[in-house]
Amino acid sequence: MHLLLVGISHRTAPVELRERLDFQARGVGAALRALTARGSTREAVVVSTCNRAELYAACDDAEQARTDLVNFLTEFHGLDRAALQPHLYDLVDLDVTRHLFRVAAGLDSMVVGEPQILGQVKEALTVASAEQSAGPLLHRLFHSSFGVGKRVRTETGIGAGAVSIGFAAVALARKIFGDLNGRNVLVVGAGEMGKLTAIHMKSQGVNRVTIVSRTMAHAARTAEAIGGASAAPWEDIDAALGSSDIVITATGAASPILTKARIETIMRPRRNQPLFIIDIALPRDVEPAAGEIEQVFLYNIDDLQITVRENMARRESEMARAQAIVGEEVDKFDGWLRSRGAVSTIVALRRHFERIRRAELDRLEPKLATLPPEAKERLEDITHLLIEKLLLTPTEQLKASGGDPETVGAYGDALTRLFGLDEPEGGRPARGRVEPFPGPKSRSSSGSGR
Amino acid sequence: MNVLPLALYALACAAYVWHFARRDPLLGRTATTLLVAATMAHTFVIGMETMEFGQIPMFGINSAISTFVWLLALAYLYTEMTTDERAMGAFILPLLVAFQAIPAFHPAVESPAAVLQGPLFGVHVSSLMFAYASFALACVIGITYVLLFKEIKAKHLGFFYARLPSLQTLDSMNQRAIAVGWIFLTIGLIVGAVWTPQARVEDPRVQAMSLLDPKIFLALVCWLVYSFEAFAARRIGWGGRRAAYLSAIGFAIVMLNFVPISYFVTNSHDF
Repeated sequence: MHLLLVGISHRTAPVELRERLDFQARGVGAALRALTARGSTREAVVVSTCNRAELYAACDDAEQARTDLVNFLTEFHGLDRAALQPHLYDLVDLDVTRHLFRVAAGLDSMVVGEPQILGQVKEALTVASAEQSAGPLLHRLFHSSFGVGKRVRTETGIGAGAVSIGFAAVALARKIFGDLNGRNVLVVGAGEMGKLTAIHMKSQGVNRVTIVSRTMAHAARTAEAIGGASAAPWEDIDAALGSSDIVITATGAASPILTKARIETIMRPRRNQPLFIIDIALPRDVEPAAGEIEQVFLYNIDDLQITVRENMARRESEMARAQAIVGEEVDKFDGWLRSRGAVSTIVALRRHFERIRRAELDRLEPKLATLPPEAKERLEDITHLLIEKLLLTPTEQLKASGGDPETVGAYGDALTRLFGLDEPEGGRPARGRVEPFPGPKSRSSSGSGR
Repeated sequence: MNVLPLALYALACAAYVWHFARRDPLLGRTATTLLVAATMAHTFVIGMETMEFGQIPMFGINSAISTFVWLLALAYLYTEMTTDERAMGAFILPLLVAFQAIPAFHPAVESPAAVLQGPLFGVHVSSLMFAYASFALACVIGITYVLLFKEIKAKHLGFFYARLPSLQTLDSMNQRAIAVGWIFLTIGLIVGAVWTPQARVEDPRVQAMSLLDPKIFLALVCWLVYSFEAFAARRIGWGGRRAAYLSAIGFAIVMLNFVPISYFVTNSHDF
């Protein structure tokens, strides 16, 4: 059996095309049912997110299945084949494994290391399981990918550091205050940016969010939009500053509203309790010199952007370690596939021997007919035992070499040829040759891209 | 006798520093395991000495330092277990190793002078030891606070930002360590003052003790510094970084008192 992947992602297709290939719209379950009905694949899983649409399949004939999967994509979404073809990629066997492991680990994501993708991959398998389209091979593949995602996340810094302004601000607040529970947030200005950051803070469990704006009605409206926030009049800004821990300024004012002197007077009654000011306004709302005050931490939008960029760079630099983990896990999966090959060789060998035994007993049936039933039973037992004993050592040897792909491959080939295992009863060659999975072709593919 | 704990402390130290740099959870667990082993070995050594002398070995500078290291290790382990925060280990452990090296390489075992026996003296020294261990912890926490504070202020979020707990956490850990240390320092000093007139008749050195003895004088200075930090500093807005500096200054005085003054300068308190 072969693993096959056909799909598009943010790396190969523009968002307009990705939207049209979104399986979520008509339901992944329906897509899986339609795909299974075509019969070109044995197992199938659909991974569909806003950045990728991928069909994972297990099939006997990769070439034929690939063509059919592309046809399925165009027919299911009503697309022109010529428009889709240049954006499609397809992978076989171990390359599929490597790709899925990278996806689950967030290495193939638009924002490297983003955590949602692992949940989306899990969801894909859940749906496929419910539709009974995922068999043992894809089950194993996907479960392995969950492990890889987890390993990469815990053993590298790929998911570390905030990579958006909002997250960067929250991460900084956490580094200053620890738990944000019980902290008070003041938003100066009722614009969109301030509102978004406030919502973000609110979701982190801060105690109180207060909005001040030059027009009270405006502030009240924004407070309502945030939910659970309160508005205060512009004149009360100093009092509000005094009782806040985190201040977000986002007004459209042309000159700074909060000067160093003004903040200094606020700091005295609060006994120098730390004050974290996030100035996301352009031009700036807070005098830069205010950052010199002891226990005032002033960050403007550029500062946050710099930390975001630094975090991005740090994530990129963790790539090599993450890739190494993916490589290790691909090898492990390869080993499992091959030991699975050993099992199928053993099964074929047993079946072959049993068939010979049966045939001989059937052939001798006329002569044995005169024997008493106990003797016949005894004959059954003895012949059965004989086969068991003959097969014992080869079986053990094959199982013992399960970890070493080369040996399994060599043994499997030798046994298949020596005993003619690929020739079923009728003597004509079988379509599904019993071979240690995957064949020599995929060996070479596993060597590439490392 | 003190060499085995030293070797184990050194191993644990390497593991903590390595863990701090690499942030590998397995290394962290190894470091803690090594430190627990070191502390247990040290407990055994101190237990043996206690059995030998009939009291916890605190007379003489070597055994005093050894006991101090042991208490500091216990105090740190307690902090680590309660906060699940290993970053501080990389700062505390080098201190443990440096101090433990003194008794390990000068294994002179002094036997206790007759005057230094009795429960009051035991309380005096052990509470001071515990106070010093707490102050050492507070000092290290204070240093890490300043390191992190500087990174956040300078808007350069790098090495310490990624590894240390939040400023608030460090500040409250520092506060707690100072509070515990202050309580024991106060007890130790009061008991010392009560014990001196009782012992004065027995030993000429005790008779010479006064507030002007450098060691006793500096101990009082310490008490003033820590009292200020524990009770007044935060009310006048000296929280955070200033409190961190205070704990470093306080501990510098403690160290000055503990090692060089005990060795060279004191004229009466030379036990």
